[in-house]
Amino acid sequence: MASTEIARHLQVGDRRVALDPEGYLIELSDWSPAVASALAAEEGRVLTPEHWEVIEVIRDFYSRYEASPAMRPLVKAVGLALGPEKGRSLHLMKLFPDSPAKAAARLAGLPKPANCL
Amino acid sequence: MAISSPSTGDLLVILRHPPHGSSWLREGLDAALVAAAFGQSVSLLFQGDGVLALAKGQQTGPLGQKGTAATLDMLSMYDIDSLHVEETALERFGLEAKQLQLPARIADGDSISHLLAGHRLVLTF
Amino acid sequence: MILHILNRPPSSSLAYRDALAAMAGNDRLLLIEDGVMGALTSQVRHFQEIEGRLFALREDLSARGLEGQCDASVLVVDVDGFVSLTEEADKTVSWF
Repeated sequence: MASTEIARHLQVGDRRVALDPEGYLIELSDWSPAVASALAAEEGRVLTPEHWEVIEVIRDFYSRYEASPAMRPLVKAVGLALGPEKGRSLHLMKLFPDSPAKAAARLAGLPKPANCL
Repeated sequence: MAISSPSTGDLLVILRHPPHGSSWLREGLDAALVAAAFGQSVSLLFQGDGVLALAKGQQTGPLGQKGTAATLDMLSMYDIDSLHVEETALERFGLEAKQLQLPARIADGDSISHLLAGHRLVLTF
Repeated sequence: MILHILNRPPSSSLAYRDALAAMAGNDRLLLIEDGVMGALTSQVRHFQEIEGRLFALREDLSARGLEGQCDASVLVVDVDGFVSLTEEADKTVSWF
């Protein structure tokens, strides 16, 4: 869930973006592609076109349903938007190792998925 | 959209409260989503005042409170498509099945007790 | 057999109506907490259709001073009886 406790700030260009203790944006409206790249850089990731298209899918999911998806619905949404080849957990695990639903939500500037441990 | 409504599964969540007045409906939907996220087969029964959760055209509350309409639309992304609605409650509110936000199977007479019997776990909200 | 558990009285809550609508022919209903008010002779008509399958928790009746007004058709059980009912049931469903 969205947290309101500011733990630290991330410098993106000349802006300071507030993050919660788990590294999610406090203000969802702070998000921009530059913020996503900066969040990814913190994790030692470079965002490729394959990352960006998933970020777009998950942002679309959020705008439609007002919630970040857990893993299963994320896989389903990616499959519906990008085709069955990409709508597989293996593909998402490769892009966002460990926990794709959480990592993708963070980079997309969305709250941490609620239904996902 | 096809109405796929098996009367068996792992979990039946019974939703008996209308949107906005309390958090019961939201909590029931959350329980269903968590179970589905972990691969359980989940059915929903909208009963009593809970059938109003399926009314079309819901919006945020007067103070901007989030409604549950978006969450209902999200159910299919969690593969929750076994939806059932109590017929007598629909009639009580003058609603017809075709006016609902989502396709749901009409539950009448004994079919509610069959639903309860057909699920390993039943939770009421 | 499912054990249904109701903790609201029929005098002020319609939870009993949803419970009855969901009961199969061999299911049982146990009244607890404020639900035991439904076991009074003046109220028990709401549960006519399940006569013989209606139970009430003794501790909740006596706490409210209502044990003497409990209808003779209601099967009164103590907490141990509650446990036995639960054990005999495939599952329990709560109504509130």
